[in-house]
Amino acid sequence: MTLIVESGYEFWNPIIWLIAFAVVMVIVYFFRRRGEEKYKKGEEQAQIFLCGEEVPGAEQRQVRGGNAYWGFFETLKEYYDVIVRPHTGIVNDYVVWFIAVVAISAIILFVVELVG
Amino acid sequence: MSLKAFKRALWVYHLNTGSCNGCDIEILAVLTPRYDVERFGIMLVGSPRHADVLLVTGPVVKQMVSRVKRIYEQTPDPKLVVVVGSCGIEGGVFYESYSLAGPVDQIIPVDVYVPGCPPRPEAIIHGVVMAWVKLEKLAKQEVA
Repeated sequence: MTLIVESGYEFWNPIIWLIAFAVVMVIVYFFRRRGEEKYKKGEEQAQIFLCGEEVPGAEQRQVRGGNAYWGFFETLKEYYDVIVRPHTGIVNDYVVWFIAVVAISAIILFVVELVG
Repeated sequence: MSLKAFKRALWVYHLNTGSCNGCDIEILAVLTPRYDVERFGIMLVGSPRHADVLLVTGPVVKQMVSRVKRIYEQTPDPKLVVVVGSCGIEGGVFYESYSLAGPVDQIIPVDVYVPGCPPRPEAIIHGVVMAWVKLEKLAKQEVA
């Protein structure tokens, strides 16, 4: 049996959406009109304020996708600090880790076999 | 003082160009309940793009020159500059230091000077009010 919840209101009526859009546009226009009209276009007054620093080019001021995970990484910082440290990027280190893990696993299996 | 042309609240942007923080602490004191300039409609804002007045403290160190000029340019017109403290006026204890590019008025035009090391909060308020009066005149000229 399929259960359909009916609210009795047609929220998806396009007319309502158009009215809502118009109301939002009027509010936006109201605030925009209250803005500074006499600023110097094409000069520093039209630039982004970066605490007085020179504004970098558009291609250099993109927010990377990784920035969206800032809170995630910040919260788990203690975990990542420990995990990232062994990841040196040097193949020799990874081979040492591999041999160490294989050796420990072999010892465990050997002991288990002896006890069993 | 009657304000007729410039009827908005006065928004002030505080810019430190190498101050020892003495003047900055006095500016903070101006905002505390004892002096409470916000009751007069004087408010510190976080961006020069919203400001009417630049409150500059400290001598201008060489690395701040381009920043000071840029922040001055980014402030919408009409704008005024108030220099707070002896360092910004003539170098103060940093006079002729190797790292200075000069007092503030050698970098950007200055309208009001508030001397002192550091100036008392009353003096800072007086300086800002003087700037407000001048801004009122500028606004009247624009209207006329």
